[in-house]
Amino acid sequence: MKIEKIAQCDFLETVFIPENFDSEILIGHTGDLLSEVMRNCQENSIWVTHQSHQNIIAVSEVTGAKAIVIAENLNFNADTVESAKDASIALFKTKLSAFECCGKLYNLLKND
Amino acid sequence: MAEEKNDVDKLVEMLSKVFVNIKIKDIMTSPPIVVTEETKLKYVKDIMRIKKISGMPVITRNQNLSGIISIEDIIKVYDSGSFNDRAVNWMTKNPVFLNEDDTLMSFLEANEKLNYGRYPVINRNKKVVGVVTKLDILEWMFKKLGYIYVHDQRREETLNKRFTSLLTGEQYEETRIDFRYDIDYESVEMVGIAATKLKKFLLSKYIKNDVVRKVSIATYEAEANIVIHSGSKGVLYCLINNDHVKVFLEDYGKGIENLDKAMKEGFSTATEKIREKGFGAGMGLPNMKRFSDRMTLISSPNKGVKVEMLFYI
Repeated sequence: MKIEKIAQCDFLETVFIPENFDSEILIGHTGDLLSEVMRNCQENSIWVTHQSHQNIIAVSEVTGAKAIVIAENLNFNADTVESAKDASIALFKTKLSAFECCGKLYNLLKND
Repeated sequence: MAEEKNDVDKLVEMLSKVFVNIKIKDIMTSPPIVVTEETKLKYVKDIMRIKKISGMPVITRNQNLSGIISIEDIIKVYDSGSFNDRAVNWMTKNPVFLNEDDTLMSFLEANEKLNYGRYPVINRNKKVVGVVTKLDILEWMFKKLGYIYVHDQRREETLNKRFTSLLTGEQYEETRIDFRYDIDYESVEMVGIAATKLKKFLLSKYIKNDVVRKVSIATYEAEANIVIHSGSKGVLYCLINNDHVKVFLEDYGKGIENLDKAMKEGFSTATEKIREKGFGAGMGLPNMKRFSDRMTLISSPNKGVKVEMLFYI
């Protein structure tokens, strides 16, 4: 699924989308334990988390996740957004809980 | 080792008659602890000390048998050699070996004539797949006979660690390093710099995407361990070979106190503050093992940790 289509979702607020972002989002993952995310998050994922610090960008780069959603109306740290620019990772936030957000994303990707 | 036939030999001989058709592969210690030809003797010595063994096969890069190196050879080095010499220069060449499909009879015949401490075992493709010693045979027999045989407990402990993989011990030349990165920051938020830089480097060398992914995940975990746990700086090296990528990570910090525990999923010594950030899930070492094709880790308290991971391309 194209990132533009995901960005149109009313439950997501775009924090940052890299220019010329051409990765397709194929699947999702949720988790806050970085090693668990490392193990289970697949390439071309959208990752729903509560972690806001800069390291989530490195985790995305390593696992091949292309977008991160921060749940519960939390905010990314400023240096996280800066790192996302360097690493070309899309960032969104949502007022929903991680559970609700995942449910909506699941249906969205499944019906794509 | 030309000694008179002792009680152990007599016992092995006696009991073996009952089990002559048993195959060596059922008895041998596998995977074996081995070193490559180019391993420096100082590392050979360390491996013997840490693994508490008195000798081991020396293999070529293709895992073929090259020789055998033992404590006796190391003693000779003390007399007239240098510990910077390579295993290949001091090993016993053309060692007697057994095939994994040989029976106990072949061992007995070899032992009758030669009485060596250990015999490398090779498979059909001539790769070294195990080591068999008299004690292995005795132990196996006693187990078979239903006796509780408490044999050198320390050796059992070190050899049966879950993660014990083929210890290549291969040393890397400074000139052969394809990628090097110094891990010299202390902030956990920065973990992943080395792993992501390595990922970009490997992709630029046209290593397949799925291999690069495995390498960078395992490297990320090792990097996190250095930053969170070692209390020291560390360094990452990577070598690209024909059929595999090898990653080394070293630190000079406090080491791992209990490796069995550390390998267990969910076990972590990370502080609460670190855990809040999502680290310290107790999955670092298990993930490294899972995503690498072979992993070796050497550590003792206050001597740092050396990790070597191999990924087939």
